[in-house]
Amino acid sequence: MRIKVLSITLLISAILLLAVVPHTIAQKPKILVYIGGHGGPGYEEWWRELVTEFEKKYGIDVEYQIIGFEVYWDKLVAAFESGTPPDAALADLGGWVPAFAAKGWLEPLEKYLATWEGTKQIWPNLWEAVTYKGVRYGVPWYCDCRVLLYHKELFKEAGLDPNKPPRTWDELLEYAKKLTNPKRGIYGYGVSGALSEITTLGYMIFLYGAGGRLLTPDYKKAAFNTPEGLEALKFYTELYTKYHVSPPGTPSYTEDDYRVMMAHGKIAMAVGGPWSFPLIEMENPAIKGKYATAPHPYKVHPATVYGGWAWVIAKASKHKDAAWKWITFIDSYDVWKRWALKWKGPMPARIDVVFDVPFFLEDPRWRPIIKMFPHAVARPPIPQWPQVSHVIQLMVQNVLTGKMTPEQAISWAEKEVNKILAGGT
Amino acid sequence: MASNSGEEKLALSLISPYLAFFILITIYPVIYNVVLSLERRGVLTLVNYAEVLSDPNFPLILYNTFIWTIGSVTFQFLVGIGVALLLNENFPAKRLFTALIITVPWAMPDVVAGITWRWMYSDVYGVINDLMMKLGLISYPLPWLGDINLARIAVIIANIWKGFPISALIYLSALKTIPDELYEAAKIDGASAWVRFKDVTLPLLSPIIKTTVMLTVIWTVNYFPLIYVMTGGGPANATDTLVTYAYRISFKFTNFSVGAAWATFTFLLMLAFAVVYTKTLMGGRT
Repeated sequence: MRIKVLSITLLISAILLLAVVPHTIAQKPKILVYIGGHGGPGYEEWWRELVTEFEKKYGIDVEYQIIGFEVYWDKLVAAFESGTPPDAALADLGGWVPAFAAKGWLEPLEKYLATWEGTKQIWPNLWEAVTYKGVRYGVPWYCDCRVLLYHKELFKEAGLDPNKPPRTWDELLEYAKKLTNPKRGIYGYGVSGALSEITTLGYMIFLYGAGGRLLTPDYKKAAFNTPEGLEALKFYTELYTKYHVSPPGTPSYTEDDYRVMMAHGKIAMAVGGPWSFPLIEMENPAIKGKYATAPHPYKVHPATVYGGWAWVIAKASKHKDAAWKWITFIDSYDVWKRWALKWKGPMPARIDVVFDVPFFLEDPRWRPIIKMFPHAVARPPIPQWPQVSHVIQLMVQNVLTGKMTPEQAISWAEKEVNKILAGGT
Repeated sequence: MASNSGEEKLALSLISPYLAFFILITIYPVIYNVVLSLERRGVLTLVNYAEVLSDPNFPLILYNTFIWTIGSVTFQFLVGIGVALLLNENFPAKRLFTALIITVPWAMPDVVAGITWRWMYSDVYGVINDLMMKLGLISYPLPWLGDINLARIAVIIANIWKGFPISALIYLSALKTIPDELYEAAKIDGASAWVRFKDVTLPLLSPIIKTTVMLTVIWTVNYFPLIYVMTGGGPANATDTLVTYAYRISFKFTNFSVGAAWATFTFLLMLAFAVVYTKTLMGGRT
């Protein structure tokens, strides 16, 4: 009896252990691929098709995981930190690549890029986001830039021409005031103010549009505490604190919240991008054809920030060549063209595809994005970017909540950013 | 004796898988975390703890954690005991009511609850502002999560809702153990409902209340997802607590050693609290 119980418990333990300990006995190389934030209806099927095609073509097995964007950073960091990373993975162009490279988690890709046919096809401004200490650690895969998203019907209701979006800050404020109607719960412009990277991007669009810049070109010091930087911070926050053209809950909202509000006719203008199109139509199908994009209004010259994704290879990977084959397959002209024709987006990091697939230049929603893209700036590719971005978010929140004046907040933020940049990783 | 030790062995073999997993998923991470917090670039050091204590936000984070905990625990206790007393009475559709009021908040996943509360607090289409305006309590929607003081209150309200069922359940089961004779005797002596509550119910519940309050304090300090989803610690650090701060340092800034020091500091703080609390309020009994 005793032996029986003991052996049953041992058996159960063994089964449970087998279930948690990953075990691979494979002859063919098998790579693990993390796909972050690219699921959704239809996409699972599409990824499966691509993976099967790749497996047949190269004789390499692929185990892949599609992971939601909300948890993707945490999941990647945990995988790298625990020493069991995927062979190939997607990394956000918002500073993830340098952050991971500084930790020693990524394989330098220069030797692969030297001979790849796609290297010269990537938008040149994208390389900055995947470079750390002069070495490239990622292959840009897709990209986009932020533009102004606006509600044409609300423009009409306010007596504004829906085909003439604001071009300058002055026009932005003037339009926003006309569009705001608190009694009906309608606001002119959504200022991103929550504790989120998106708030940093919101400020950066105004900062660069005022002729300022975030850090010095060598990324060693803060460069935003200038008259331009202060003017940008003042204008950005006063849209909420002084002119009240952004909703009362502004310090808790980002452009994602504003997109939902715009879908329901509560926000007339906000920052958005090509990813907004399916999302805003999913929120309210009736908005189809009633929203448009335009270059974001500026003070001195048009400006925007880009985002997107790059493929990286883990330094700990045992199948780096196989992982590289996966990247060149998925980032090839052929796969991209099929992708773009099927899904009408996102915007490929390859110039040849963008100019060969007609709709990018024909769709009026896409045109401002393609037009603005060459002017889009990268977020500084430094491992301390998450901390720096966090300080910028707090700077904006401190002004929005009235905790500090713009002057106090910007010099506080400058000091904090310089401290972070001086401290190494 | 022989059969006794046989039983012990049987018991031990029965709990062995649990024990193995407990060590694997609880003891191991705690030890790993302590080791991590004492290391920087391969050297054994206390510098991570020095960084915690000298962080300019340290007093604010402690203050926020204190407010969050006091607010949540006090009202989880009051609402919990109120609901328990209510559910101890007989009334129609009691089972349905119990099931709803107890399980909905408690069983709802933290992230879903956080997102739902975010929507309800919205000043553009949130139900809370809408109701308050219809009742004439306010004339303009309030930025619940956009104002420093309102945000602190807003996350606490959400947490009271999320956490009161477990307190209520514990108090309810304790109420069931109080013999009816005691109330009858008190009634015969002419004690009012309040006096019966004060002099019969409360003293008999007291040990349970003390334990439950201690547990809810520890749970609240360590409770992370609700704040993280609702405000991320904002606006302007207003809802940043020890755990949201530690999380950000570890997982957003990938500074695992300093994050581990924050986590271990929280652990030690809770340990100290538990020791002092049990010694003073519970007469050394645990």
